[in-house]
Amino acid sequence: MPTAAGHVLMTAPAIKMHAVRHRYDEEREVLRGIDLTIDRGEVFGFLGHNGAGKTTAVNILTTLLKPSSGTATVFGHDVVHDRREVTRHIGYLPADLRLYAHLTAAENLELFATLSGVEDARGATAEVLSRLDCSELADRRVGSFSTGMRQRIGIAQAIVHRPEVLFLDEPAAGLDPLSVRLLRETILELNQELGMTVFMNTHLLSEVSRVCTTIGVLNHGRLVYKDSIAETLRRFPNEASLEDIYVLVDGAS
Amino acid sequence: MTATIASHQLRSLRRQRVLLSITVVMVGMTALAGFIGWSSHQTITRVYDQAVLLLPSGADVPPNPFELKPTLSLLSNLTIYISLVGALLCLAVGHVSMAEDEADGIGRLVFSRQISRLAYFGGRLLGCAAAVAGVLAASWVVSVLALMVANGDPPGAADLLRLTAFYALSWLYLIFFVLVGMITVLLTRRRSLALLSAIGVWLTITFAVPQITSGLRPTTSLSPVTDPVGTSQAFFQVTSHAEPLSLAGQYKQASVQILDLSAGTGGQLPFRLLTVAGGALLLALLTGWLVVRHDYSRGASDG
Repeated sequence: MPTAAGHVLMTAPAIKMHAVRHRYDEEREVLRGIDLTIDRGEVFGFLGHNGAGKTTAVNILTTLLKPSSGTATVFGHDVVHDRREVTRHIGYLPADLRLYAHLTAAENLELFATLSGVEDARGATAEVLSRLDCSELADRRVGSFSTGMRQRIGIAQAIVHRPEVLFLDEPAAGLDPLSVRLLRETILELNQELGMTVFMNTHLLSEVSRVCTTIGVLNHGRLVYKDSIAETLRRFPNEASLEDIYVLVDGAS
Repeated sequence: MTATIASHQLRSLRRQRVLLSITVVMVGMTALAGFIGWSSHQTITRVYDQAVLLLPSGADVPPNPFELKPTLSLLSNLTIYISLVGALLCLAVGHVSMAEDEADGIGRLVFSRQISRLAYFGGRLLGCAAAVAGVLAASWVVSVLALMVANGDPPGAADLLRLTAFYALSWLYLIFFVLVGMITVLLTRRRSLALLSAIGVWLTITFAVPQITSGLRPTTSLSPVTDPVGTSQAFFQVTSHAEPLSLAGQYKQASVQILDLSAGTGGQLPFRLLTVAGGALLLALLTGWLVVRHDYSRGASDG
C-alpha cells in the first residue's frame, strides 16, 4: 500500500481526527480533544448547539485552520503537513456562502475548478451545472441570485473538481422547503452515484434522519456521541424522533 | 495558479468598473496637466509678445521665458496629480483586490483549494500591477499627444525616455499605495474601516510626513520645489533628518529630476529611486507575510 504523499492510502478512513484541540485564545478553547473516524462513503451529520465547535472542526479538516494540538487526516493525508494533497480530495461549502458577485455562475465555477487543478475547467463547469440541473444559471451574474440559487452554485463549486469528501457547513440554512428537498436529493445522489463521503454540519434534524448514515454530537468542544442512525434509533427506543434523541444526548452532556 | 489569480484580478477590476474609472481619471488628469501647461505657455507668450512690442526700438529684447524651460515642463503638474489623485485611486485598487476574499469570506473557498498563499498574493499583486501599468500606459500616450499639441512637434527621443522613466517611477510609487489598500483590509477585516485606515496612511505619507520632514513648508506636500530658506526651529531641524524617508517627497523630487524640470535639488537621484522602490518592496514583503499568516477561515464580516 503506498504511503508517500501524493498517494491515497487505500485503507485510510475518509476522515480521522485524533485528540484534536483548538483554542483561539487563552480563554476560548473551542475543541477539547476530539477523536473521530469517518469511513468512506458515509454521510456524516455533525450536530451540536451554536458555538459547540462544529465549524472550527470543518475549518481544520478543510486546512483553513491549524489545530492547536492533535492530528487530523483526510484520506490518510495530514491536514497540516500534506495540505495540497488534502485539498485535492475535498470540496467545501461554507455557511453563509458568498461568491464573486460580479462574475457569472460559470465564471465562478471555472475559477474554482482551475484553482483545484482541473485541466478542462470549462468542461467540468458545464458538466456540474448540468448534473445539478442549473445550466440556465451559467451566464447570469451571481450577484442577482436568490439564496437558493446561490446555494446550488455553491454546491456546484464544491464538487466541480469531483472531490472524494464533501464538507457542508449548515447547507440548508435560509433555504425554502423546496430548496431543502433539492439539496437532500443532491447530497444523496453525490453519495450514492459518485461515492462521495459527506461531512455535514447541520441543525436540521429532519434532514439528518433522511440523509445521514452516521451522526456525531459535539458539546462544548467534546464529541459526546457518535453512531450510525440505525443503531441510534435502536439504542433509544423510547424517543419519538431524532430531535428527542439529540436533546437527550446533548442535554445529558 | 498565480496567473489564474492575476487574470481573475484583472477581470474583477474591469467588471467592477474600477479599471474604467481609474483610466478615465488618470487620462483626464494628464490631459488637464497638458492643458494647464499649454494654457500658461500661451498666456505668457502672448504677454511677452505684447511687452516686446512696447519696448523702445534698439533696446535689448529679453528671451521668452518659456523658451528657456524644458519641453516636459508642460506636464509638471502631473507629479502632483499622481501623488495625490493617482495614489488615492490605487488605494481603491488594492482595497478591492482583497476585500471580497476577506470581508465577504470568499477566501474560505479559495484556500480550501490547492493554491498556496504566496501564489495567491503574487497573483493579486500581479493583476493590480498590470492594471496600474495599463492605466499609466494610457496616461503616457495622452502625455505624448499633449506635448505634440502644445509644442507643435512630437517630443524627441530624450524627452520620450525621460517621460517613460517618470511613468516607471510613478508605477512603483502607485504600487506602494495598492499594497497599502491591501494591507489595511487584512489588518482590519471591515471594508469601511479598511478604506478609512488606508486614506489615513495616504494622508500621512502625502501631506504630514513631507511637511514635518521639510520644516513645515506649506507648499511642500504639493510642490516639488525646494525651499531655499532653512528652518531655525529645533524640532524641524531634527525631523528634517528624516526627509530621505519621506516617500512622497522623494518621489516628487525624483520626478523633477527625471523630467528635467530643474527645480529639484541636484544629485541623489539613485537614492530617491531606491527609497521609492525599497518602500514598495518592503511593503510587498510585509503584505505577503500577512497573507501567509492570515486567518481566512472566518466568514463574511459586516460592513
